[in-house]
Amino acid sequence: MQEIFQGIGDAFRLLFSGDWDIWQIVLRSLFVSGIALAVALALGVPFGTLLALTGFPGRRFLVTLINTGMGVPPVVVGLLVFMLLARSGPLGSLHLLYSMKAMIIAQILIALPIVAGLTLAALQQLDEGYRLQILALGAGRLQYFRLLLREVRVPLMAAVMAAFGGIISEVGAVMMVGGNLEGQTQVLTTGIVQETRMGQFSAAIALAVILMLLAFTTNYAMTIVQQKGARRG
Amino acid sequence: MAEPRAVCEAGTVIEARDVRVARGGRTIVDVPAFALSEGETHVLLGPNGAGKSTLLRVLNGLEEGGGTIVFRGEKVASGAGRLRLRRATAAVFQHPYLLAASVLDNVAGGLRLRGTGRDAARERAVAALDLLGVSHLAQRTPARLSGGEAQRVSLARALAVDPVILFLDEPMASLDPPTRRTLLADLAGIFATCATAVVWVTHDREEAHAVADTVSFMAEGRVIQSGTAAEVLNRPATAAVADFLGVESWIEGRVERADDALRFVGDSGAAFVCGEAPEGPAIACVHPEDVVLFRQAPAAGSTSLRNVLPGRVTGVRERGRLRLVDVDCTGLPLVALVTQAACDELDLAPGRSLHAAFKATAVQVLPRASHLGVAGPEA
Repeated sequence: MQEIFQGIGDAFRLLFSGDWDIWQIVLRSLFVSGIALAVALALGVPFGTLLALTGFPGRRFLVTLINTGMGVPPVVVGLLVFMLLARSGPLGSLHLLYSMKAMIIAQILIALPIVAGLTLAALQQLDEGYRLQILALGAGRLQYFRLLLREVRVPLMAAVMAAFGGIISEVGAVMMVGGNLEGQTQVLTTGIVQETRMGQFSAAIALAVILMLLAFTTNYAMTIVQQKGARRG
Repeated sequence: MAEPRAVCEAGTVIEARDVRVARGGRTIVDVPAFALSEGETHVLLGPNGAGKSTLLRVLNGLEEGGGTIVFRGEKVASGAGRLRLRRATAAVFQHPYLLAASVLDNVAGGLRLRGTGRDAARERAVAALDLLGVSHLAQRTPARLSGGEAQRVSLARALAVDPVILFLDEPMASLDPPTRRTLLADLAGIFATCATAVVWVTHDREEAHAVADTVSFMAEGRVIQSGTAAEVLNRPATAAVADFLGVESWIEGRVERADDALRFVGDSGAAFVCGEAPEGPAIACVHPEDVVLFRQAPAAGSTSLRNVLPGRVTGVRERGRLRLVDVDCTGLPLVALVTQAACDELDLAPGRSLHAAFKATAVQVLPRASHLGVAGPEA
């Protein structure tokens, strides 16, 4: 018991003493997951929109693929990316394994089905009358997509939260493809694993506190936006 | 009923030919020809599932309908053509479908999509809200509007773009009766003064009475009867139309010529004078509003009603504050609509003997073969 309180106390001292190593890990985590989220949104929202609003051969297959993708354990994604990027793998010549790029790729693959799937669900739940009304209002194709997405911005925000929460707290995939190299590819989650293994509980707790604060802050910010949106109806 | 404007002299604003829509092997719409003139208010009337809304969406460029659509002399053939059509028109549906923005920006929305600047669009939005009497709601969010307010905002949004054609798909169907009445009166006033042509889909004949210049009656995807509001609403051409319009008295029999007058002889043998109609088997309809009831037979010459028939009350039904009285006139089933006061005064109850009277011109004669069939507008 004594040890735990000691660990928590040390953790806060570590955080506020300006330990550069710890803050570097935080920034790296935010960087990797931020980029991955941005790419997943840029690809997933249009893709989910396309699946929701158009019919084409193979659409059902893609929807099934996305729904499956939403449930694939990240560690399996990690394995897939590892095999692709390994020296003997098809993309081995790019020498990306054990880099932040590899981690970003893995996190994109984890977030993409979540974003696309939730976008699809959000648009399909919208009353079809809105589609007709927006077209009847004189919307061209791009205006149509923009207005429809604005109508579903509240569930879309949930998609953003779910995707970000999923990748910032994910440990298996980034461990496999990033290698958890101290000072290079170590992020919050893999840092916690390593510090715990080495018996450095105060450092592990410090990282865990930050991870939870981060999760709380982003969710809080998005919830405010979401509630504001819900009130506006 | 709105006074019919000079619809024949105005130019045709939209024309559709050979519109055919089928879903799952079932014909939803089959309309060989449809035309709308500038400034005309055309009501598509008919029961639910008649294909009215589908025809409206085809005309509005929201749905592919086969055939040809010609809008202001130009054939609408491509996606770009349909977008041009939608940008020159506006639509309001049963639900207001206001978007996530203030009322003001909702109403300005159509103009913004057409490239109008924000300030100019808002200025016209205020004018449109004013026209519908809801400019005080400009800063509200749609979630805080009542159903009637929201529909007025939706109508303002449509009128703000100054549409060549305004498409209305059951715009009153979700409103309660008092809200509906005031909005209907306001809209009739607005349409009477603005140049916009209107296609109004409804299953409510009162709405048709209030706003229509012209009416097309639709059933099972087809236009059964089309003409001026007076023609269609007062002189239904087929039994299907008459039934929908609330004709209560159905009398089967035949039209015969005797002593230079046309008589309708019911299957029971009882007869009355009717207007011009081809001789032979037929069905006669009389609107309940046109049937007058007397306790004693009126003295000859004291009334202009040609037909005075003795009968017996078989039933009294409530219809709001009015009463529908079923009368059996020696085998002819007639229905009369009277006020509650008249009902009390005449002491109407089943078994009571009385006289039912109606004008010869109040009798609508329909061909018997068309009872369930489809007849053209010239029938």
